[in-house]
Amino acid sequence: MVPLRVLLAAIPFAALTVCIPLVNRIEPRIAGLPFMLAWILAWVLLTPAFLWSIGRVERRW
Amino acid sequence: MTDPPVIALTIVGAILIATIAFALFSVRRITMDPQQYIVGGRSFGTILLWVLLAGEIYTSFTFLGASGWAYGLGAPAYYILAYGACAYIIGYFLLPAIWRVGKERGLLTSADFFADRYDSAALGVFTGVTQFLVLIPYVALQLSGLQLLLRMAGYGRVDATFGVSTAFLLIALFVFSAGLRGTAWASIVKDALVLAAVIFAGIVIPVQFFGSPAHMIDQVLRVHPGHLTLLAGTSSHGTIWYVSTVLLTSIGFFMAPHGFSAIYSARSEATLRRNAMFLPFYQVVMLLVILAGLAALLIVPGLSGTAVDQSFLLVVQRYYPPWVMGFVAAAGALAALVPASAQLLGAASIFAKNVLGVFGIATGDAARTLATRVLVVVVAVLALGYWLEEQRTLVELILIYYNGVVQFLPGVVAAFGFARVSAWSVAAGIATGFALVVFLTLSGTPLGGVNPGLVALAGNVAITALVAIFFPRRAHRYEPIAN
Repeated sequence: MVPLRVLLAAIPFAALTVCIPLVNRIEPRIAGLPFMLAWILAWVLLTPAFLWSIGRVERRW
Repeated sequence: MTDPPVIALTIVGAILIATIAFALFSVRRITMDPQQYIVGGRSFGTILLWVLLAGEIYTSFTFLGASGWAYGLGAPAYYILAYGACAYIIGYFLLPAIWRVGKERGLLTSADFFADRYDSAALGVFTGVTQFLVLIPYVALQLSGLQLLLRMAGYGRVDATFGVSTAFLLIALFVFSAGLRGTAWASIVKDALVLAAVIFAGIVIPVQFFGSPAHMIDQVLRVHPGHLTLLAGTSSHGTIWYVSTVLLTSIGFFMAPHGFSAIYSARSEATLRRNAMFLPFYQVVMLLVILAGLAALLIVPGLSGTAVDQSFLLVVQRYYPPWVMGFVAAAGALAALVPASAQLLGAASIFAKNVLGVFGIATGDAARTLATRVLVVVVAVLALGYWLEEQRTLVELILIYYNGVVQFLPGVVAAFGFARVSAWSVAAGIATGFALVVFLTLSGTPLGGVNPGLVALAGNVAITALVAIFFPRRAHRYEPIAN
């Protein structure tokens, strides 16, 4: 059983690394950005939310 | 009307001097002992640490390189946007552990960490000398970034070598006086100016030339179809390259020798966790830099080779007034000099503590502060001399730096969870890793698109593990990384 905090760390990490070959395309454009660029940007901006959740799980804040 | 280079360079000079004055004023009441000078007295709160980390991490080459990659290669530049966020995920777990050891054992440098965790002064000297040697070309790289910016601000009519040398020696004297805390305060100005410059370059320029960033991207897709997607699989800068490079650069991210001092400077573990959480937002800056590179591709097409690094500066130089050029170049110059100041301090403190200190030289508090200060200036002169001599081979050395610093990672991770790993296994692993990096980088051995640093890291881990299996460490002293 993978601990929840490790899972929460692995999701954005995987989205920004091993998932990239799957999203390597232009369409659909999001806010004018090519899909892959929008995907990377979205996950970069979601990363703080995941790290915050890990902190909650660890009862750090 | 005054000459454009005079206006632009005057602005650069004035901002540089004002930044130094501001930082010196902010640290004027601080008494410097080694703890204060090298790691800011372990007292930085969330905001000052955030500014310092952003100040150290995002260098002029991050900006020039990212826009240059977006210009020359397109989609591969996206890796620069992604790897920072991945690094901060790792940092959330790794940084508090490194800090805790530093606090408990009174560590000041990354070589200290190795010497202490593996109970071996010899390993401290080995890692210290290795780190010192990789830092010198890295400092020199900042000088190349600075030279490029000063040339652009001089509109090609001014020889920048004198300006680079002067600015750099000024920064060395600044570090001599102000230490890490000075770098942190100077980072405030740097980060603010850089933010203004990238908003201008990544939003204002696309809006003025194309109506909006979205229209600009339409045009990139029309003129250069294929520029904004990665090539498949094993091609050069293809998807395998992308994944392996993000993996390598994110796990090696916090292994920069001067980075450990910044980690130790935190007030608490919580400060570091909050920083890991907030730093991904800074990555948005890199999106704007990528957009600036794409704008330059359409506005000033046809650049190739290393000239792509100046692409968006060329747009500013050709189409905007000299004062805009001055502010953009000043932001870039600070993005070269502020990280350089941290690197100088890092190299000097490693040499003072982990090399001189081991041989019984300058071990008292006052003597160590003085030795570190003098070494800051010595390192600066060395790096400057190196840069003046070796400008051409710099690019290759930088590849070695990036792929090289990650080779310290197995030793850091093993220090927290693998009691069998001895100083000898770590040293053998680092030596193997560096040998592989130098060989693979210089020979250009094809690896099916996989980043050579990652291959070298695999060799490093294998050798570290083999030595640990056959010659395990006897004394057990470690604490697990997770708690």
